[in-house]
Amino acid sequence: MATVEAWQPAPSLPPPRTETGWIGWAKANLFGNWLSGLVTVVTVPIILWAVWSMVSWLVGPADWTVITSRPQQYAIGLYPTEHAWRPLIGWLLVSILFGMAAAMWGGAARRIAIGYGVVTVLLGVLPYGMFHEGVVMPWWVRAFILGNLLTLGIGYLLGSNAKTARPRNFVLGGIAIYVLLLLILNGIPGVPGMEEVAPRKWGGLMLNLILAVSGIFFAFPIGILLALGRRSSLPVVKVLCVVFIEVFRGVPLITLLFMSQVLVPLALPANFPVDSVTRAAIVITLFSAAYTAENIRGGLQGLHPGQAEAARALGLPGWQVTMLIQLPQAIRNVIPAIVGQFIALFKDTSLVYIVGMLDILEMGRSIVQGNVQFTDNGRENLIFVAVVFWLFTYTMSYASRRVERRLGVGRR
Amino acid sequence: MATETAVAADPASEQDNIIVARDVHKWFGNFHALRGVTTTVGRGEVVVVIGPSGSGKSTFIRTINRLEQHQRGDIIVDGVEMTEDVRNIDAIRSEVGMVFQSFNLFPHLTVMRNITLAPTKVRKTPMDEADASAMQLLERVGIPEQAEKYPGELSGGQQQRVAIARALAMNPKIMLFDEPTSALDPEMIKEVLEVMKELAASHQMTIVAITHELGFAREVADRIVMFDEGQIVEDLPPDEFFNNPRHERVRRFLSQIL
Ligand SMILES: Nc1ncnc2c1ncn2[C@@H]1O[C@H](COP(=O)(O)OP(=O)(O)OP(=O)(O)O)[C@@H](O)[C@H]1O
Ligand SMILES: [Mg+2]
Repeated sequence: MATVEAWQPAPSLPPPRTETGWIGWAKANLFGNWLSGLVTVVTVPIILWAVWSMVSWLVGPADWTVITSRPQQYAIGLYPTEHAWRPLIGWLLVSILFGMAAAMWGGAARRIAIGYGVVTVLLGVLPYGMFHEGVVMPWWVRAFILGNLLTLGIGYLLGSNAKTARPRNFVLGGIAIYVLLLLILNGIPGVPGMEEVAPRKWGGLMLNLILAVSGIFFAFPIGILLALGRRSSLPVVKVLCVVFIEVFRGVPLITLLFMSQVLVPLALPANFPVDSVTRAAIVITLFSAAYTAENIRGGLQGLHPGQAEAARALGLPGWQVTMLIQLPQAIRNVIPAIVGQFIALFKDTSLVYIVGMLDILEMGRSIVQGNVQFTDNGRENLIFVAVVFWLFTYTMSYASRRVERRLGVGRR
Repeated sequence: MATETAVAADPASEQDNIIVARDVHKWFGNFHALRGVTTTVGRGEVVVVIGPSGSGKSTFIRTINRLEQHQRGDIIVDGVEMTEDVRNIDAIRSEVGMVFQSFNLFPHLTVMRNITLAPTKVRKTPMDEADASAMQLLERVGIPEQAEKYPGELSGGQQQRVAIARALAMNPKIMLFDEPTSALDPEMIKEVLEVMKELAASHQMTIVAITHELGFAREVADRIVMFDEGQIVEDLPPDEFFNNPRHERVRRFLSQIL
């Protein structure tokens, strides 16, 4: 009879050594075959040439005076200088949230808060030419800007304290700060120093951010309701949601913005207290909500039907099946699409120039065109505005990628 | 009204039989999936359901907790007739646990939260109480150390055991199993069957299980019910079912799956 042999698993060996170092990398990736070699040979010189001309322009003739002599207008547009402290207070409040998030979630939130702090310090100490035309940068503005480090720290403490560090507090605090910020900017009748500054005087980066945050803040819940409504078994609800979504997705945002100025007043009573900015904000929000709704609906449709069945089999009532099982999974699966949507929304806030608002892009354009000494600085202006937009959108997509990884999107 | 008369007319079946099905019909569009199913399941009874693919096994046990709605006949579960009335249905569903072939754990919740979700939301059990009994259930199914993991981090066998614990957390009177082991690798089938055997042996719970694990059926079933073409062909205790079936169809089916 055959003897019983002991079975030995083969030893685990290290992977085979491949060519390493940058030469090996270049060989494999840039000159792997004749086509990729050709692409490399053609594109690399073009890229080098473009970078070279850009850099030599940046260190040579580029003149940033257009920006450093008008920081106020890039930041807040034509918001009156004597009230400039109001947006600065709003900024201080917002920093609390960054600090709190950094302490509560660490990781990406902390890195974003650190970057935010560094940029804030830079903005506080940069050698500006002027604050705006003819006014030297006042010391108190610098003090306010640097004060953000303090409120960032306060937020951090709130986020480190076990009693206050609750996601619910963060959300409620965010809502409170949002409302307070709008109140401070708009003014409180009867309070000295808080005279009304109508939204049509708001501008600069501040306007882009307010429109974007308001849009995201409202588009998300409205989008969820629309997505659920579109799946509703009540025909009236369903039809209304479908019509709403398809109308707002089918018409360009520019057209909607024009319509909000021309058509909406017809539908509203005369003297209805909704100014053109609020109307633009509402249109941007609804436009974004329609896209958010379709993203979330896609997420809902992608769910395995067994999920809802298992929840129903446990005796959960229908609305809890939706709220606790389906929506969280659907939203988690479409975070990349929703964040992409919100990045688009942020960029689209520039379109409010159509209703005569001076957002950062339009503000820059009118500085360049309205001042003889800056007519040659259109490039610097555009590069600056582009970098500002990019900083915010990149931060958003960075945050989204980290959240995705944390929630394990794509890994069920 | 209709419910009361239906139940009152048949007091005996209400007491002894936790599930009563009378001439149940179900159509999917034009397709006649259940063609007059009549059977009863007594309290504490363990019934194994077998039959060829597409014979209506799943459809039938899903009518018991009304994941599918039947169109003709009566189904009475624990004295409550399955009707359009939504309140009845949520109440019945919380009394009937169900385990699926594809586990259907909630991937965004930890094992612990999967188990405590229904008790805290439906029964309003306080969180700490729900946590404690969830932990006991995890010990019962043999994986207390996995409590804080997410379903995606578990093996198939472990996931199915969590799914059983999740259903048991509602203290159901009836457990329905729809091919709980057929998505599992052979090594993992055993660990799930062990848990099911332990449940069956306790005789505190009524079990209706679709499974082709004939060893399991032989060992723990009180009856084996065979479906074909939307009807029940045979309904016998395991011994007789295997050794002395009345219908030739059973023998043919057994020879196919053995
Ligand atoms: N939602 C549905 N829509 C249409 N037809 C369905 C639906 N569910 C089941 N059926 C059909 O009803 C019949 C019975 O299906 P059922 O799932 O009950 O079979 P089964 O006995 O469980 O089979 P299996 O062993 O493959 O699970 C099948 O022919 C199936 O195609
Ligand atoms: Mg089936």
